[in-house]
Amino acid sequence: MAIGDALGVGVSGLLAAQRSLATAGQNIANVNTEGYSRQRTELVTRTPLYSGGGYIGTGVTQSTVKRLYDDFLTTQVRTSTGMYNQSENFYNLASRVDNMLADPQAGLTPSLQSFFSAVQGVATDPTSLAARQVLLAEAGTLTGRFRYLDQRLTDLRQGVNADIRSRITEINGLAQSIADVNKDIVLAPGRQSGQLPNDLLDKRDALLVKLSEQVAVTTVAQDDGSVNVFIGNGQSLVVGVRSQGLSPITNQFDATRVEVGYQAGTDIINISSQISGGKLGGAMEFRNQVLDNAQNVLGRIAVGVADNFNDQHRLGQDLNGALGGDFFSVPAMQVQPRLLNTGSGAVTAALADPNALTASDYRLTYDGGNVYSLLRLSDNQVTTINTGGAYPYTSAAVDGFALTITAGAAVNDSYLIKPTSQGAQTIGVAINDVKNIAVAAPIRSAAALANIGSARISSGVVNTLDPSLQNNVTIQFTSSGQFDVIDATNGTLATNVPYISGQAISFNGWTVNISGVAAAGDIFTIGTNTNGASDNRNGLLLGQLQAKYTLDGGSATYQDAYNQLVAEIGTRTNQADITRNAQKALQEQSIQARDAVSGVNLDEEAADMLRLQQAYQASAQVISISDGLFQALIGAIRR
Amino acid sequence: MRVSTQQLQQQGVNAMLEQQALLGKTQLQVSTGRRILAPADDPSASAQVLGLMKEKEVTGRYQSNADAARARLSMEEQTLTGAGDVLQRIKELALQANNGTQNNATRGMLASEIRLRLDELLAMANSRDANGEYLFSGYQGLTQPFDRNAAGGFDYNGDEGQRYLQIGPARQVAVSDSGTEVFRAIRNGNGVFSTRENPVNTGSGVIDPGTVTGAFVPDNYTIAFTQTLPTAPITYSVTGAASGIVASGTYASGNSIAFGGAKVQIGGTPANGDTFTVTPSANQDIFTTVQNFIDALETPVTNPASQAHFNNAMSRVIGDLDNGLDNVLNVRATLGARINAIDAQKNINDGFNLQVQETLSSLQDLDYAEAVSRLNLQLTGLQAAQQSFAKIQGLSLFNFLR
Repeated sequence: MAIGDALGVGVSGLLAAQRSLATAGQNIANVNTEGYSRQRTELVTRTPLYSGGGYIGTGVTQSTVKRLYDDFLTTQVRTSTGMYNQSENFYNLASRVDNMLADPQAGLTPSLQSFFSAVQGVATDPTSLAARQVLLAEAGTLTGRFRYLDQRLTDLRQGVNADIRSRITEINGLAQSIADVNKDIVLAPGRQSGQLPNDLLDKRDALLVKLSEQVAVTTVAQDDGSVNVFIGNGQSLVVGVRSQGLSPITNQFDATRVEVGYQAGTDIINISSQISGGKLGGAMEFRNQVLDNAQNVLGRIAVGVADNFNDQHRLGQDLNGALGGDFFSVPAMQVQPRLLNTGSGAVTAALADPNALTASDYRLTYDGGNVYSLLRLSDNQVTTINTGGAYPYTSAAVDGFALTITAGAAVNDSYLIKPTSQGAQTIGVAINDVKNIAVAAPIRSAAALANIGSARISSGVVNTLDPSLQNNVTIQFTSSGQFDVIDATNGTLATNVPYISGQAISFNGWTVNISGVAAAGDIFTIGTNTNGASDNRNGLLLGQLQAKYTLDGGSATYQDAYNQLVAEIGTRTNQADITRNAQKALQEQSIQARDAVSGVNLDEEAADMLRLQQAYQASAQVISISDGLFQALIGAIRR
Repeated sequence: MRVSTQQLQQQGVNAMLEQQALLGKTQLQVSTGRRILAPADDPSASAQVLGLMKEKEVTGRYQSNADAARARLSMEEQTLTGAGDVLQRIKELALQANNGTQNNATRGMLASEIRLRLDELLAMANSRDANGEYLFSGYQGLTQPFDRNAAGGFDYNGDEGQRYLQIGPARQVAVSDSGTEVFRAIRNGNGVFSTRENPVNTGSGVIDPGTVTGAFVPDNYTIAFTQTLPTAPITYSVTGAASGIVASGTYASGNSIAFGGAKVQIGGTPANGDTFTVTPSANQDIFTTVQNFIDALETPVTNPASQAHFNNAMSRVIGDLDNGLDNVLNVRATLGARINAIDAQKNINDGFNLQVQETLSSLQDLDYAEAVSRLNLQLTGLQAAQQSFAKIQGLSLFNFLR
């Protein structure tokens, strides 16, 4: 064995230990670097020399610096990050609605209650202007609360718009960075010989995790070392060294609604419905599932309160003796034509029955041949409307609203109809004079003092606004078992009506009951409730609206409808919280699993350093010994 | 399994953050006393809480309505008690006036007292509540219900409206009675028919209010007396305007005359041509009754015929006063019944409120014992997390490599 061999082996060991120490140093230095995968210097023996006595080792050399990395675990981190961020963003947004709706001070419940309490206050004391003033103020508070809640939801909607814009910017930036790193990797020297640019790969993995925080992505590795990144249903975000960004676009029906646009050929298409995962997916999900619904449900309650209250209020009589007008201004229904409509047809929607309203939005599309189809977006149920060619055409009521369509629509023109979304925003109080609150009924009844019989007449109920409602009507008994009904203006309404005690008698839009024993010649009168300042009959009926099942097909009171909304959003938020926690645990687990392979452990590195230090010292010793041998040899020759 | 240094640190930090979040929530629960901080904590319970809070508020409203109703009815009751007292006094005066020892002068003095009493009664019928609303004018609370008219009668300007208040989910109670109900819809006579002498009678015949013996056949009957000669027997015949002659016979003072389900007694000596009428009862307001009394007292008694007129008038007045008093007392009795009903409803409302409160409390209130023990547990957990973090973070092989 040559002395030089030992020296060479020693030096190779020294170098190998140095390299390994350097790697350990790199690991320690990057202990806190995000996405860093620990590295290890892979050592191999050098090619041995053959001699007659067999193969003689020639030392050690470095084959590569290996990145400790597991592709499956890294993909899992990315997936779970996407899902966690989606549920996290959804939860954060939903819990804001959740907290707002049930807030004992800011929710709808207290103002709804105060309003109806004030209605009863007026019913208790119909002549009191103070009580009427309180009612007017409470009505203002109620409509204000509707608008406030709606404004908060609208603020959230604008927040979601801004969120979508900023997410898209971030996604585009990340896509560009990934494309850049792809380029660096493709061009990295040595890749052909199997030497991977570890730190660049780590960087790209970190970028992909960051991208997953924004939106769910799928990746496909290419032979040249680059990865292609896809979102949605396979829309490519990064292909090789090129990135294609997303762009924020406005909804084709609603210019205030920001959607995710993607350049496909020359068109920019809306891919919002295909977006899932990440914060962008969370924001979209929130808008579709919580925000739209909350605003519609709230609007439906507003429309219901306004319309029901108005209907009853109009059947009353105010302090000036006039019939009641509208108490609330009922919100108009929103119809948004698609921006790309080519025809000139216009569509308006009007409230028909608040009881039948749903919280859904609708899309009306012209199919040609005077046939329109109305799609309920909540469950995709289609109602066909055939105008028969007569325009303007007013349809029968569908789900509580009727459409009026004018001529000129082109085939495939479509309109988004939102019957309830504006309700909470536009409800207002229509009267401003407390005397105009119609607490009295417009009619009153009386039994003539000269009546012989003991029959009594009820105070009467107003059913409809008949033009003859307030005419003076006389019910005249021709015998104890029969009566005539005579309208002072319109003449005889009925003759020889058989009298049955307690039976309802309805004419001119009112109903009264006469009960007891009547005698021939007895007279009962129904007429205008002149000076009826102390009458509270309509006030009582207005107050009873609070407990009436007037929404959702007669299954819910106003409060019920609101409670359902609170429960629904509470449940969604609760589910989101559970999902978020589960996803967080999953994400932590997947990070742990990845870090178990790729993470740096300082103790491990310290131990490695000790080991390498010892190897280094041993190799130095080999050099020293071979130097000793060499010196001994030189000394022997010099002699 | 390998554990990376960062992971170890992150785990420790996460554990502390989680414990702190739990602790923060428990702390908020303890400080607010509420189990549910946001609907998401318990969605169905939150919706129930909103519903129950509404119920509580509504019931509170019913209770204040009931209080208002009670106050109004109490006020009306007081007024009617006063009216009853006045009527009672007038009735006493009527009995006194009927006494044979009275003369024209003393009757005049009685009349002047009754005038005052009538004014008092009228003022009561026109009384107002604290808001200035007239109690007895029906729906027209801002219109004075009773007025004297130029003809010396009494006009009613109100209507028959009756106000109700909502004192329970399905319970309304009447809180007013119209002037008609209290003061006007009073049957005169004996409630079925009314007897009356002809104002031009010259004899001393006095008719009693009569009694109902069977089904009264409504008609306007005239009892006419005939005495062809001062020595001849007095005969009578009863003719109904629709029914024709229904009875006739020879008159004897104090004997009953029966016809058409009615029986009347006529005392004294009717003169030839004197007539009496029996007509179905009609409504007569209490003020007219009292006014009739005054008129009777102020008509001088000078001879047997005018004495008979006075006696007849007094007989009617006493009967009508009784009817009026009965009516006021009846209305008062219904007021008492309504006040009882209000009290009963208030008890029901209270009971309901208590139930709601209990349910509400079980839904949203915090179980302090449980929460405080949970708080302690979480504090211990947080301390453990902090201490173990500090311990583990202190460990490093590098510490031993000096």
